[in-house]
Amino acid sequence: MQDAIVELSGVEKDYASGSGFLTVLRQVDLCIRRGEFVGIVGASGSGKTTLMNILGCLDKPTRGRYVLAGEDVSSLDDDRLSSARNKSIGFVFQSFNLIQQFSVLENVEVPLFYARYSRRERRERALKAIESVGLQHRLGHQPAQLSGGECQRVAIARALVCEPALLLTDEPTGNLDSKNGDEVLRLFYELNAAGRTLIMVTHNTEIAANLPRVVEMKDGRMSERVREVVGA
Amino acid sequence: MTSSWIGLGEVFVLGVRNLKRNKLRSFLTMLGMIFGVGSVIAMLAVGAGARAELLARIQELGVQNIIVNSVKPPEESKPAATNRRWIDRYGLTFKDREIVEQVCPSVERILPVNALRQRLWHKSHGIDCSILGVEPEHLRSFGLEVRRGRTFNEVDARKGAKVCIVRPSLIRELETLEDPIGLSVRIGAEPFEIIGVLEDARFSSHTKKALAIDGQHQEVYIPYSTAMRDFGTMTILRRGGSEERSIVELDQMVVRAKSAEAVGPTARVISSVLERFHEKQDYEIVVPLELLRQKEQTQAVFNLVMVLIAAISLLVGGIGIANIMLATITERTKEIGIRRAMGARRIDILLQFLTETAAIGVVGGLFGCLFGLGAIYALVQLADWQAVVAWSSFALALSISVAVAILSGIYPARRAALMDPIRALRFE
Repeated sequence: MQDAIVELSGVEKDYASGSGFLTVLRQVDLCIRRGEFVGIVGASGSGKTTLMNILGCLDKPTRGRYVLAGEDVSSLDDDRLSSARNKSIGFVFQSFNLIQQFSVLENVEVPLFYARYSRRERRERALKAIESVGLQHRLGHQPAQLSGGECQRVAIARALVCEPALLLTDEPTGNLDSKNGDEVLRLFYELNAAGRTLIMVTHNTEIAANLPRVVEMKDGRMSERVREVVGA
Repeated sequence: MTSSWIGLGEVFVLGVRNLKRNKLRSFLTMLGMIFGVGSVIAMLAVGAGARAELLARIQELGVQNIIVNSVKPPEESKPAATNRRWIDRYGLTFKDREIVEQVCPSVERILPVNALRQRLWHKSHGIDCSILGVEPEHLRSFGLEVRRGRTFNEVDARKGAKVCIVRPSLIRELETLEDPIGLSVRIGAEPFEIIGVLEDARFSSHTKKALAIDGQHQEVYIPYSTAMRDFGTMTILRRGGSEERSIVELDQMVVRAKSAEAVGPTARVISSVLERFHEKQDYEIVVPLELLRQKEQTQAVFNLVMVLIAAISLLVGGIGIANIMLATITERTKEIGIRRAMGARRIDILLQFLTETAAIGVVGGLFGCLFGLGAIYALVQLADWQAVVAWSSFALALSISVAVAILSGIYPARRAALMDPIRALRFE
């Protein structure tokens, strides 16, 4: 498929446990096309987090194939996997994961540093990304001086700054009050409307209910949740 | 990939920023490096200073010279201090000189010195002086340059001319406005003429000691033949009501060996000859070259101690750095996870932490240089040591401290690089 961003086929993941192996993911197939906004739901222990780690190139599948933005990443070594993360993935975490002693601007520059941009280019791109989330008045602030909503927007700017193919968000509203959470969600919808591909892991059923496509993890298996067409 | 090295300058600046964030901790971490680097610098400077001082001293005394002085032997029970006719006889004799010349083929020549204590008069102004009867060559061989007038020549020596050469300070003490060259003075009762004034440079205290020059009196040089004829070998010291008379045939002889290598054997021969003919220890042998060796030995011991201090400080400093870096890495596990998620490779993390330890090395090294300068200053001011500070020693000390810091950073940095990014991200 030409415009597939994520293609998982037969992905399985084993963990060593005691004497034998524990299979956490079984026969996961998933195809996400450019411009989709997909929610992943599931109880804890369902394999949701493991799937996220594999999708984010932080972990490798034991069996199966993972093609990310046209590149087979299932058997890359650590260095190439790092490059794939840098180039193709933007992470947004529940706990923001900003570097505390860095300013807003410096935090957003981190991925650009590993993409080997020059200092001037880094500044320009980071400024643009920060402007796009509306925090240009907070450039020199440190994360501790910002509200939760602002921190998450900095994290989003950081995730976007390298123009990744896929935005991977893990409970992005989990640490926010409903007002800030809604604002962050609105930002995601805007990004999706502008053509970005997003995956959101959540167990907030209300949020999941509104997403165009939702897959559910249960005991390591994946099932597509078919949307009930309201009013049909 | 070579591109890992890009941006290390910025990482370095960040490292320095981290050091500033926790000043006390950074200072304590760097303390070992500071002492280590400081002692390296102090050691090099003091070593160079000692060498320079030795060289200067040797040049003053002459590498090929052996100086033999007559020394008043330790007081024994004199027959009677009240006996005014008693004459104390001690020191080198003309015979000693002859024997040495005969038995030592390695001796090039021997310069005799006749020293006496006399008062130098100009009109009614008298100054206590140390009169040194010397051969013309003596002045040259001890680097005594005549600044004004002339030095002694062979004619002065042969005729026993009543001429003298003085220090500029004596002229100042005479408080005369007349031209000192050609000035008529009296030494004791004898009329003399000043023919030359020496350079202002003084002998170092070591040289004075080796040449048995009494620093409290002005030195006045006259030809050896004149001294022997006019004043002889008897010295009369009037003290209170009593008189001390002593006869010293040769106050000093400066033996010049044919080569620097011959100095040691010649000195040993002289020593055994004198031992045989003198019952009392009424002479001393000063060998400048031996002084150099002795000094070099003490210097080597000192250097060894300093090297040990430096090595131990650097070792302890390195362990301190490794320790603090391990703590830092645990503290910053989350940051490592974030960086890894953002695309940092293992080598990027490794280089980041190595660069940060290098920053500790550089900053610690710079403070160490300051500490070293302080130590040098203290040694020069308080212990009166000589020091020569070479800028290359700073480069050396800095490279050592950076190398030690990087070495101690390898293990912690490796641990950081090998962290599992997933666990690091979850670390709270």
